[in-house]
Amino acid sequence: MSRASTRFDTKKVNSELVTLTYGALVAQMIKDLDNTEDVSKQLERLGYNMGIRLIEDFLAKTGTGRCLDLKDTADKIQSAFRMYLGVQPNVANWSAAGDEFSFILDSNPLTDLVELPDELKNLKYCNIICGVIRGALEMVQLDVQSWIVQDQLKGDQNTEVRVKFIRRLEDAMPAGED
Amino acid sequence: MAVCVAIIGKDNSPKYFCCLNPDEELGFQYKVLSSLDVVEEKLNTTNKGTNDLRELYLGMLYSLETHKIYGYVTNTKIKFIIVVDSTNMALRDNEIRSMFRKLHSEYADIVCNPFYIPGDAICSKSFDVNVKNIMTGTV
Repeated sequence: MSRASTRFDTKKVNSELVTLTYGALVAQMIKDLDNTEDVSKQLERLGYNMGIRLIEDFLAKTGTGRCLDLKDTADKIQSAFRMYLGVQPNVANWSAAGDEFSFILDSNPLTDLVELPDELKNLKYCNIICGVIRGALEMVQLDVQSWIVQDQLKGDQNTEVRVKFIRRLEDAMPAGED
Repeated sequence: MAVCVAIIGKDNSPKYFCCLNPDEELGFQYKVLSSLDVVEEKLNTTNKGTNDLRELYLGMLYSLETHKIYGYVTNTKIKFIIVVDSTNMALRDNEIRSMFRKLHSEYADIVCNPFYIPGDAICSKSFDVNVKNIMTGTV
């Protein structure tokens, strides 16, 4: 379709809408559950549910085959970040055994213009990303653990999400909803 | 440059106040709050029938011997007030307008923070820093 780039692309959504929606979701959760730990866990669970579905979309759109090793996996996740969030993270901090690595994001569209107030210092605002990674990889039979190491909202330079490979899932387990 | 900036909400309660010189804060608060009367007057006289969309900038509200006070109102009735030192080089109208535009854009950014409830006082540190930059003209 040849349209002028100034026309609204009906398939894409303004990124501010995503940022504001996510922010409103987190703010509402905080009001509903007073505990920041619970909110962080819920965000991770939300991310998990998104991840198990996003992986299908990703595989359908890119048509990639099996990953040969964890580095391949990291590269694929990197291109998924670019596809869905529009940011390119750096893959870094590989552990000595080669089973842990980090994504370093220096800009995160989910946290644009967000400032954490003091009483929510323990909130892991980007936990949804950890959940997405965990959910998506579980659907391709990789059990991983992912958590946030650095967070721009808490004053760090950039946001770092660390992923650790636990094991390969041999049985085809149906994705259980938590 | 500007010596004082204030943001007043639509119910005329102060949302944010910042002075470069902390000693004169009380005096400036008084001047700003009394200039709100002028703002109300301007809003009432220009709103006869058609809503004046172009004029968010209200111009100079008040002129004292040492200071000049300028006002700007958004469509959501949030008022921005800037107090400028008269002894400073005469700031052109354009510069004041651009200061207000920057302030408005900073305010819009702060309102997008999901943890800010519109109607509360603004206590964000980065907003503070940005406003001080606008006031001293370093942005």
